[in-house]
Amino acid sequence: MNPQAELLPGTLDLLILKAVSLGSLHGYGILLRIQQISRGTLLIEQGALYPALFRLVRQGYLRASWGTSDNNRRAKYYELTAGGRERLREEEDGWNRLVAAMRFVLAADVEET
Amino acid sequence: MRLLAYFRSLVSGFADRGHADGDMDEEFRAHIERYADDLERSGLPRSEAERQARIAFGGYERTKEECREERPGFRLESVWKDVRFGLRMLYKNPGFTAVAVVTLALGIGANAAIFSVVRGVLLRPLANRDEDRLLYLRQSIPGDEDLTFSVPEIQDLGKSLKTITELGTLSQLDFTVVGLGEPHEISAGVADGNYFDVMGLKPVTGRLLNAGDDGPNAAGAAVLTYRFWTSTLHADPSVIGKTIRLGSLEGTRSAVIVGVVEPSVPYPVETQLIANIVTSPHHLSATMVQGREHRMTEVFGRLAPGANLESARAEVHTVYSAMLAAHPEVYKASDHYQVDVTRMHDQINSRARTVLWVLLAASGLLFVIACSNVANLFLARTVRREPELALRSALGASSAVLRRALLAEALVLCSTGLLAGVLIAAPMVKVLSRYASRFSVRAVGLTLDSSMLWIGVALALVAAIFLAFVPRLPSADASRGFAISSSSLRITGGSRRRLRIFAVTQITASFLLLAGAGALLRTLLVLEQTQPPFETSHVLAVNLPVMTDGRNPQQVRDFYRDVQRRVAALPGVEHVSSGFSVPWRDARALNINFSFVIEGAPREDGRQDPRARFRSVSPGFFQTLGVPILEGRDFDERDREGGERVIIISQSVAKQLFPGQDPVNRQMRWTDPVMRFIGISFEPRRIIAVVPDLDDQELIPLPAMTVYQPSEQEGWNGRLFVRAKNDPYALVPTIIREVHDMAADQPVERASTLDDIRAEVMTPDRLNAVVFGGFASLALLISVVGVAGVLAFSVSGRTREFGIRLALGARPGHVLANVLSEGLVIAVIGVAVGLVVGFAFARGIARYTAEVQLPGALPLILSAVLILAAALIASAVPAARAARVDAAQALRSE
Repeated sequence: MNPQAELLPGTLDLLILKAVSLGSLHGYGILLRIQQISRGTLLIEQGALYPALFRLVRQGYLRASWGTSDNNRRAKYYELTAGGRERLREEEDGWNRLVAAMRFVLAADVEET
Repeated sequence: MRLLAYFRSLVSGFADRGHADGDMDEEFRAHIERYADDLERSGLPRSEAERQARIAFGGYERTKEECREERPGFRLESVWKDVRFGLRMLYKNPGFTAVAVVTLALGIGANAAIFSVVRGVLLRPLANRDEDRLLYLRQSIPGDEDLTFSVPEIQDLGKSLKTITELGTLSQLDFTVVGLGEPHEISAGVADGNYFDVMGLKPVTGRLLNAGDDGPNAAGAAVLTYRFWTSTLHADPSVIGKTIRLGSLEGTRSAVIVGVVEPSVPYPVETQLIANIVTSPHHLSATMVQGREHRMTEVFGRLAPGANLESARAEVHTVYSAMLAAHPEVYKASDHYQVDVTRMHDQINSRARTVLWVLLAASGLLFVIACSNVANLFLARTVRREPELALRSALGASSAVLRRALLAEALVLCSTGLLAGVLIAAPMVKVLSRYASRFSVRAVGLTLDSSMLWIGVALALVAAIFLAFVPRLPSADASRGFAISSSSLRITGGSRRRLRIFAVTQITASFLLLAGAGALLRTLLVLEQTQPPFETSHVLAVNLPVMTDGRNPQQVRDFYRDVQRRVAALPGVEHVSSGFSVPWRDARALNINFSFVIEGAPREDGRQDPRARFRSVSPGFFQTLGVPILEGRDFDERDREGGERVIIISQSVAKQLFPGQDPVNRQMRWTDPVMRFIGISFEPRRIIAVVPDLDDQELIPLPAMTVYQPSEQEGWNGRLFVRAKNDPYALVPTIIREVHDMAADQPVERASTLDDIRAEVMTPDRLNAVVFGGFASLALLISVVGVAGVLAFSVSGRTREFGIRLALGARPGHVLANVLSEGLVIAVIGVAVGLVVGFAFARGIARYTAEVQLPGALPLILSAVLILAAALIASAVPAARAARVDAAQALRSE
């Protein structure tokens, strides 16, 4: 079985918000951070990242600005806005509820019904 | 807050789209480079690292496109792009664009103009206060639509009405006004003190008439109408308080101008001045006040609170029936007296309504034609563009995107058409309002109704959506789409059928318009070709209204005799006479007719006495008009007041009442009860001559029972007839000088040849023909372009087929005939559908109104022939092109 898990639809936004919440990053950095914090289990198609980033900027959850990266290259950095922070909290809560519910469902036994 | 930010980013995103694209490139490239760096660090050679990094990134352009779609302002940008593309396409096809825009402009402009006029004339409320409660009462008998009312009748009717609060009355008469510039005759009304209150009108300056102006002892007071005050008196405020002299047949009275009434629709006749009752001695006379059959007054009313039109109508009918029953000697059952109550608004519009609705239908047809035509062009062009559309669809454009592109193009086209339409609508309104003012005074001076622009916008939108959804889009099936590699067109059967349907629609609509215009044109031609029954081109009619101021009846008679003598002596004058009514022009005087009996002829019980038109003329009248006396002698010096009473009859009277006998020297007597009120006695009168029938009312002469009475024997005067040797108008200044020499105050007005008067009366017919003819020719022009377009398109799509046929030995003539017949078939189907639709429509309308006349066979046939000929001409160019196809070239082009 493939050790890398398929990304559930709709979770990319949450991952990006979470990654950016740990400090402002450029696109490639976001990709790396997601890989890093998921311990390499989540695979993100590189091309899919940018439309999601643009969408989050349009929706006002991320702010983008040009800066200089560690190796003196110009790079576009993304950071959370206040709205983005709010959104992240909501998404986290929702996800946790879903995970908890799923866990109950999957742990159900014959006796409990 | 977020919304604001969004808009800001939308605007900035839209503003620097190019810049943003560069940013995107830089960002993506940086990403790929960093990944390549990492891969290189893990041991790959640089070139391989870069290659893998690019592969991992995925479709670069697709990602860019997806990101662009996420960017703020993307929608706006893509619409803008579609519009720009549309503009470019239109710019690149100037012929198509010009034809489409002009066609749409005509369709939209004509509709906006007609809507403006319909709204202004039919729908706009009157200026009168609570105009929907204003009523108009009308008494009629078969043969006389507007009998008006007499004073006793008004008293009977108005006494106890509960559904109508008050009645206001107005009688029309002509006054000769002295004291307002040059003396002249004006159309005026004599009203009671309620009139203005019932009408719900306010003064612009001064006051209006009120109850204090009623009664025989009130001082004379006159109110000017707004139009007269502004146009003739240049809104001079100093006329208020001025004393003027008002002369009518029975004497002259003075009156003070007390005010000017606000602009309002004059009904039933346009008046310049409205005075109180004391200004007309006739209105105070016993004949007027007591004569039940002396009718000359119009009655208006105002609905009482809580009452409606139906209840008012019912009550008036009840009261009226009681009045009829109370006076059986006056209201004979055989006369079928009737009364009706209508809303003033509807009454005013009654004449214009039919005309305007017909015009609206015509302009609707024009719009249908215009839309079909543009749809045709658009469809044809889309089919030509099918390769392009197919390519775009194969490259991933969704059908929504393609449809949007078409819509944008159609919108650009239609809004250009709308702009041009609005430009031509304003002058069209001007022409139409001048035309409609023949039927309703409300049309005078109408301008383009700005709210009607919305109609234009709506029409343009309808047209644009229609256009965008007419063409079928290439299916996303790429295999079919890539047929584009061959440059020839593949026209799908569906598109071809639609093209044909639109062409047939245009022909149908044009045929209907053409047939209508043809019928009107025929009416006009008949009128123009009809010879009037007397000399018209050299006879001048001049209004010389009777001035009673300071003259007794004998002096008035002497005056007219002197005028005739002195004018006859002027050089260039061949003959002079006088009378009371100018043919075709003095409608009210010409309508006068009385009942009479022949002395000694048995009177059948229950049968009505015959009626004849009453004409009062001086000796020499027939000679002036160039009419022979068939039998007997003309009036002469002997036939004066005090002499033997004599008359001349027309041939119809002689034929009908003296069949096979000699009418000369027989006696007749007027029997009409009205005679009592107008100073004509019931004495027997001897017939001294018979003249041909001179119909001076109808443009197409009909047999006319007419009785002529000498103007000096209980007759009336006021019109001068001068027959000129050469140019009649050259005599006018000398005639005026001559008359003013005798009486400086005497008005001498409206000098015009009988020819010109007749032409003037024909103007509505001429205008009808011109307006509808204009519509029809526009329609025909547009549909010729349409048919030619369809055939040209069909021919260009069949180049290969013609090439093969010619190569196989078909004669060019055959190919030519083939295309021509294709055009003819479209036209024939169109005409056939037009006939069916036209007859069905006429029958449908006939159920609601009796006024429908089907055009005769001749206009129908002519219109059909014209349409077929036009279709042939339209097909000729494409047909010739088909016949000239070079077989070799056609086949090679595949």
